[in-house]
Amino acid sequence: MLTLPVRCQRVSCQLLASSSTSPLVQTRSYATQPKKGQIVKQASQGFKGKKNTPPGQMESAKKDKKMMAFQPLPVSQLPHPLFESDRPDSLTLQSFHPEMLTRVVESQALKFPHNDNDPFRIFGLPRNILVEFRLLSKPCSVIRSVTIDAINKLDAASEKNSKESRVVFTGPQGCGKSFLLLQALQYCNARDWLVLYIPRATNLVNSTTAHTYDMRTRTYLQPIFAYQTLQRFLKVNTPRLEQLRTQTGIEIERRHPVPPGTPLVELINIGLKDQGHAPTVLDAVLEEIGKQTIFPVLLAVDDFQALYCKSHYRDQHFSAIKSYHLSMPRLLLEYASGRKSFARGAVFGALSMSNTTFPLPVELREALSLEYDRPYGQYVKRQQELVEYAHGLERLAVPSSLSVSEAASVFEVWMKDRAVPSKPNDELFLTKYSEASGNARAFVWKGLLSSMSA
Amino acid sequence: MVHVLGVQLPDYQYARFALTAFYGIGHKTAHRLCARLQIHDKCKVRSLTPHQITELAAFLSSPSTSTPIPRFPLATSSYKPPPASTPLAVLKEETKKLSQRAWADPLRNIKIESEARRVVKDNIAHQRMIGSYVGKRHAMGLPVRGQNTQNNARTAKKLNRVDRRG
Repeated sequence: MLTLPVRCQRVSCQLLASSSTSPLVQTRSYATQPKKGQIVKQASQGFKGKKNTPPGQMESAKKDKKMMAFQPLPVSQLPHPLFESDRPDSLTLQSFHPEMLTRVVESQALKFPHNDNDPFRIFGLPRNILVEFRLLSKPCSVIRSVTIDAINKLDAASEKNSKESRVVFTGPQGCGKSFLLLQALQYCNARDWLVLYIPRATNLVNSTTAHTYDMRTRTYLQPIFAYQTLQRFLKVNTPRLEQLRTQTGIEIERRHPVPPGTPLVELINIGLKDQGHAPTVLDAVLEEIGKQTIFPVLLAVDDFQALYCKSHYRDQHFSAIKSYHLSMPRLLLEYASGRKSFARGAVFGALSMSNTTFPLPVELREALSLEYDRPYGQYVKRQQELVEYAHGLERLAVPSSLSVSEAASVFEVWMKDRAVPSKPNDELFLTKYSEASGNARAFVWKGLLSSMSA
Repeated sequence: MVHVLGVQLPDYQYARFALTAFYGIGHKTAHRLCARLQIHDKCKVRSLTPHQITELAAFLSSPSTSTPIPRFPLATSSYKPPPASTPLAVLKEETKKLSQRAWADPLRNIKIESEARRVVKDNIAHQRMIGSYVGKRHAMGLPVRGQNTQNNARTAKKLNRVDRRG
């Protein structure tokens, strides 16, 4: 089905409309506009291209080709008047505002706010959601009953220690766990919480970032990931961090200690100046924000089950390194298990059931009282450390199917965005809803976007 | 471009794949080498630190005489690390006390480049010396392993000889 290239052209058409003299202004937060002076290269094809082009150019052409997935076509490639659009933008959504989130707005689609320190832009997004937001004209989501439940939990957690609010979203694949986590993240950000979001926890354990053994902590540090996390945490939470100071002295390797009363922003900048200090500084920063009671803290992790799986890292003797022997997963596991906590706040995680490289392990399954997918008798080994790290996690089950009104809102969003290739009527809606049996991902991707009917 | 022991490793390649450019190193050995040098799977050659490149060159120049790496102690779930101001010498001492002796390391027995080629040459020369069928076939420049010679056998006719290049 060739809906996606059409989609890319459609989006570019809107860009063209915005650049033309028509009164329409279509802003897409996630669309890439060609930068000034940037030329889009086509990858060379065939042996001729490989022989004549130098390796550097081939590499950049390949990279452009990879990055062009679901990116709009450049405006210069769409001169035909067919791509001009003079219809007004019909997708008008209310903004996602924390005060609005009550049972009254259930089943309504709300657009996420767009600002400079948007946590989505800075922390990143899970891959599926990133692709979806690139296709939509504006990032939005539908408020479900489970959203209001999660928000009520957050309101309760804002006054309690995070040890008492360690929640994991569970449900079958494609039911909306990652979206729910995003809604919780946006809610907390709007409510002036300190937020730390790890969109793809698989990147911590799949051997894609540097690791090095540290004698002091007896774990494998991941300095680059810690550095990037610090950078993003600072960028999103700068106004709040500027009001906070360290309460105790902090020791850092190969450096004089940081005295108490130092602004947290200054402490973070120490970690940003030298990547080697980043893991220690990140530990210290999280401890400091755990002690303060001015702002509640949300630690949100997607692909949560990856923290409990075997990592792809190998030690110097080629034995697999356990996830709790890597600095970043260990840090997240300590907060998830309650060994470390924030004075006010919560730890939220979302499982990813469609990742076959990091499937849900038995220790986490038992901690969350989920039903087994295969027989696990008493002779199946459970790692005691992981059982301890999973102890006390609370489960919030996301309903496996959207209700009819929620599905109708989703349908309306895609319909008004002019993304549905078939004729958008009740028959299509009910057919696709029944075929997907209410599953959100199947409804949108396999139902609406992938099928064409006259 | 990084040059290690006469072999060029392109910058844009993953280090784990680039190491297979050495004669005698395949994918499994390359994976073990990367693990020994603490190079993660998706590390590109341009991201290797000078220290890692030096270690790699030092190891590959003489794998059998490399220092064995002990098994470092790993933190238990209740381990509380000492403060960051602890002197390095104290940490080294403690780590050394708790480190376990390493088991047999398969990487110490690898042979690369000229050594590996010499092994192949020596094997063929030995076959010739003892007058075996395999040796005779190498000397005649014909297939050794029972392939058909009525047709094909082009590779053997081109490459097989007593001093066959590895």
